[in-house]
Amino acid sequence: MLGAGYAVIAVGLTLIFGIVGIANFAHGAFFAMGGYACYLLTSRGVNYFIAVPLSVLIVVAIGAVTEWVVIRRSLYGDSHHGSLIVTFALGQAAVAGLILIFGPDPLPVTSPLGQSTMRFLGIFVTSQRAFIFVCSVLVLGALGLWLRLSIKGQQVVAVAQNARGALYSGIDVPWIRALAFVLGVAAAGLAGALLAPISTIYPTMGYSALIVGFTVVILGGMGSIPGAMLGALLIGVANALFETYVSVSWTPALGWGLVIATLLFRPQGLLGQVQQHRH
Amino acid sequence: MAKSSSIGTEMAIQDFGTMMDRKRAGAMNGDRAGRAAREAIYVACAVAVIAAFAFAFTDPFVVTLAGYTCAFALFALSINIILGGVGEVPLGQCLFFGVGAYGAAIGMGKLGLPFEVAVLIALMLSVVLAAIIGVITLRLTGAYFSIVSWGLTGVAMVAATNLEEITGGPLGLFGFPPIEIGSLELSDPQTYFAVTATILLLAIVFLVALRRSPFGAAMDSVRQNPHLARSVGVDVARVRLKAFMLSAPFAALAGALAVPYTQIVTPEVFSVANTVDGLLMVLLGGAQLVVGPVIGAAMFTLIPQAMNLDPNVRILVFSSIIILIMMFAPGGLHQLGVALRDRLGRRTDDDRSR
Repeated sequence: MLGAGYAVIAVGLTLIFGIVGIANFAHGAFFAMGGYACYLLTSRGVNYFIAVPLSVLIVVAIGAVTEWVVIRRSLYGDSHHGSLIVTFALGQAAVAGLILIFGPDPLPVTSPLGQSTMRFLGIFVTSQRAFIFVCSVLVLGALGLWLRLSIKGQQVVAVAQNARGALYSGIDVPWIRALAFVLGVAAAGLAGALLAPISTIYPTMGYSALIVGFTVVILGGMGSIPGAMLGALLIGVANALFETYVSVSWTPALGWGLVIATLLFRPQGLLGQVQQHRH
Repeated sequence: MAKSSSIGTEMAIQDFGTMMDRKRAGAMNGDRAGRAAREAIYVACAVAVIAAFAFAFTDPFVVTLAGYTCAFALFALSINIILGGVGEVPLGQCLFFGVGAYGAAIGMGKLGLPFEVAVLIALMLSVVLAAIIGVITLRLTGAYFSIVSWGLTGVAMVAATNLEEITGGPLGLFGFPPIEIGSLELSDPQTYFAVTATILLLAIVFLVALRRSPFGAAMDSVRQNPHLARSVGVDVARVRLKAFMLSAPFAALAGALAVPYTQIVTPEVFSVANTVDGLLMVLLGGAQLVVGPVIGAAMFTLIPQAMNLDPNVRILVFSSIIILIMMFAPGGLHQLGVALRDRLGRRTDDDRSR
């Protein structure tokens, strides 16, 4: 069930990596911002179901400003080297900012689905988890359809496949990249708002999400959206099995074990394409 | 006009190298004996500064902090072997830092070994570990390498938290016997500073020599253009692995030398924040310069101390500085200085020609 939440984070990362060409280390920070935006709204008495889309909008606004001020100027067309460090620093700065504003302590986000459980195919699931699952599937499905069917979506795919070719055929590549970045960040914000009621929110919550996101993305193959979904499913199931049958305290290391095992045999990830001209 | 002609003549060199590399190529053509003499003077000056500092300052806090800064500068140098050397961003370098710190702590605390023996074992262990990790991760480049190396520190942190019998679990290891190298007592601030500063100086001399060696040139070529390097017969994978294995003991030594300051080793040493601090030092000082990380380390430690900053404000300020540096001066603050000097120099040239 949480696998669906991971998928939303990972698809955002993949979108940014595939189209903008940067590994967004600030992704976790946007995830945390989604959670905090949701906290701010719900604690002011806004209904949770309205707060979730609103927090996505807030994160979109922040993401758009970030793209415009920092990402656009420093990264496009640059090597991975610079973008890594910039997004990493961006994440660090954002987390430090969250601590300064909200304090380091965990804060609760209440959802009307909070304590109730429901029965689904003979398994008991908390309603919040079911809600996360449904939302994630809807959003991922909508994203997939949008990429496949709409003109803008096809332009996004074209930029991902061959940015220069897309430029020659008249696509506004910088605009598409900005769009992809903001969409990816929006996915992070959505995941933050969705997962906030399950765990309390705290400034560094983004790190674990980012790590999970990256394991999922590498496992599936960077830049591949179906790969990200497959990776999320695998990690979700593997974590659940490992927690049940082996040990809870070693679970955080499991994802990386899987990643390394995968990379030993398929350096491009499960569904990734072999990257040429990069040894 | 002068500008365009100078660009024209040096186009070929600039194509293959950065501004800093060009300068170094100029230095290589210079008088060898003169260079050796100049370097001897540099080293003598550094020794004098170290000695003067150790005698002039008696405030234990300041001197200990200076010693810790030297240890951390060593860590920054280790990061720079990868970042400035072969051009990858090693987000997992604190793994080796942690190996050094835990190695020293476990060796002394649990096995009762002398500090130096424990450190030596930790150093060897770090090289072996680097060889294993390098073989796996160095097939990856760019973001992939950084992410996986970062992930491995996560694994190390989980391991350190869970293996309570060996590592003391989440509480960590503390309460060590007096830490000493031979007759040098490291709990004495001035001795601690002198020892770390001397080791740092030796490391710098070694790294300068390394940069000038054929291996240094091979690293340069791998960083600038791996495909070209391979086409002229450089074994790219081998160079990358060697650089990685070389960087590990520096980080481990830094970790071990940090123990007398911190007096406790917890799983937190594997935290990525450590690597980020080191990375920041490298970027502040400039990745293409051997002493860049040392300058960065000094700025990084002294400025927050002087301004008495809250740790989170510090992270916020320094992260913003990184972003600004990467946007406007990717070669570090050093680059700004060089650019300024070049501009001033060019102006005087223009004046003369006029």
